[in-house]
Amino acid sequence: MTVDPAVVAQGVRKRFGAIEALRGLDLRINTGEIYGLLGPNGSGKTTSIRCVAGLLRPEEGTLRVLGGTPRAAVSAARVGYMTQAPALYGDLSVQENLSFFAALQGVTHADEGIEEALRTVDLLERRRSVVNTLSGGMRTRVSLAATLLHRPSLLLLDEPTVGVDPLLRKEFWAHFRMLAASGITLLVSSHVMDEASRCDRLGLIRGGVVLAEGTANELVARAGATDLESAFVALAEAR
Amino acid sequence: MDPHRVRAVAKRIILGFRRDRRSLGLLFAAPVVVLSLVGAVWGSATERVPTVVVATDRLNLPAPIVDRFVASTAIHGRRGTFEDGLRQLRSGEVDAVVWLDGTTLHIQIEGADPLESGSIGGAIQRALTDAVAGGNLALAGPAVKIDQLYGGPDYSILDYLAPVLVAFFAFFFIFLLSAVSFLRERTTGTLERLMATPLRRGELVLGYLAGFSFFALLQAIVILLFTVFVLQVHYRGNLATIFIVEAVLVVGAVSLGLLVSAAARNELQAVQFVPIVLLPQVFLSGLLIPVDQLPDYLRPLSAVLPLTYANEALRSVMIKGYELADPLVLRDIGVLVVFGLVMAMGAVASIRRDVA
Repeated sequence: MTVDPAVVAQGVRKRFGAIEALRGLDLRINTGEIYGLLGPNGSGKTTSIRCVAGLLRPEEGTLRVLGGTPRAAVSAARVGYMTQAPALYGDLSVQENLSFFAALQGVTHADEGIEEALRTVDLLERRRSVVNTLSGGMRTRVSLAATLLHRPSLLLLDEPTVGVDPLLRKEFWAHFRMLAASGITLLVSSHVMDEASRCDRLGLIRGGVVLAEGTANELVARAGATDLESAFVALAEAR
Repeated sequence: MDPHRVRAVAKRIILGFRRDRRSLGLLFAAPVVVLSLVGAVWGSATERVPTVVVATDRLNLPAPIVDRFVASTAIHGRRGTFEDGLRQLRSGEVDAVVWLDGTTLHIQIEGADPLESGSIGGAIQRALTDAVAGGNLALAGPAVKIDQLYGGPDYSILDYLAPVLVAFFAFFFIFLLSAVSFLRERTTGTLERLMATPLRRGELVLGYLAGFSFFALLQAIVILLFTVFVLQVHYRGNLATIFIVEAVLVVGAVSLGLLVSAAARNELQAVQFVPIVLLPQVFLSGLLIPVDQLPDYLRPLSAVLPLTYANEALRSVMIKGYELADPLVLRDIGVLVVFGLVMAMGAVASIRRDVA
């Protein structure tokens, strides 16, 4: 039995004035995998994720998310999107923030889900704290919890581990693995090459195009390199 | 349109401001402080006794009434001819000329300053009431023709300013708070997050309207209670009608705030819109100068400002005691509804420009 891919992009182009952020993006994310979108700053990672989240409309190409248009998937509350900065309401408590996002996603009995999400990010004891009083790492964890409340099929995480200490980063990846094991598809962007080994498959992105897709080992072998960083350089130079 | 999501947005706004003590203080304490000042400055303006020429050549009233009128402590009365009175009025020596035309008592006032005019009119009415009531003649009080005045003899300038200040404060604070709040949504990334949920742009704007209307109505209650019970301002109108006018005005104020937030990059820039949006309304909406006294070329501008209609409606309701069903009040509310709808549609469109 073949399973439909969670995300398929073909020749996606997106321009902001004179800058062409995506120049024919092709990618395929299989259901239930952790897909790492790896590339330097300005390579088009955030633009790609925003297109998948239905926030930007590509000018060209096709983009299918969970079998339909990005906006249809978002409207059906099947997508969770964690922005690069932990976009939360600083003057609300953790609980109030999560209740709000749960309501927007149409979650009816949110309390149980909130408790579960907070347990997942290990912040249950801070549920009554006002977000402005939390550390940066804690806010990032609340931000992740806010994307889990409606049990999305696809989780879009834009550089979720930026500014997160190594210990917490390890915990985060453990959470991501757990979520993938429960059947959720994860698209995780990162500019840190050593996070690649934690993903099932990778897309190396540069200049608004995916240079190559595959597992870390496949990409290294394909480039005839010894590590992923060298593979990235070799693949970029080959284009 | 999902009412649960709209309610969630409104609740989020209300909960957020609960911890923002400064903004809440601004919303409720600032109008009270400003109204106290207005009360101190203009509420006492009625104490000034105006000098009035009683035009005896055109005042065919029984002598005892004229005597009591001239001698009233409410005015500094002078006898004179009509022409002489007008001359003195033009030169600024006196504040008013009083004469009788048939059964109508005319009060000719200088009229450039409505606040001053109100004070003079009130004093003359008091003097006339004293003069007529003090006699035992079977004379009905003559009709008084004063264009600016609607209230009774004990009305102060504050009575005429309070209705428009209710509208002004609601518009000013709600506009400012909604502009800054929505700007924060844009700059902190929460708007992007909201747009990646099933929430529709119209639902977001509606939620904002509901959340801020809650504060606007609370503010209106504070202002009304303070002006009625502390400043002793007279209100004749129906409280529910006042709230309806207030609510439709707030729809425009919130939506305009959302629109402005699209044009501003930071909170400082949002605040810089205050003079552009509000100062024209201070001068052209009838708040300080009656609209019919504005130069012709400014009237079209006055006609497109929401506060013009809110002021007219609130003055009609609160001073004249007009009901909601009055054509003038309905027309004003209708214009405010159209303004609010146009601004709300603009606000929805402005969100689209920001996030696809």
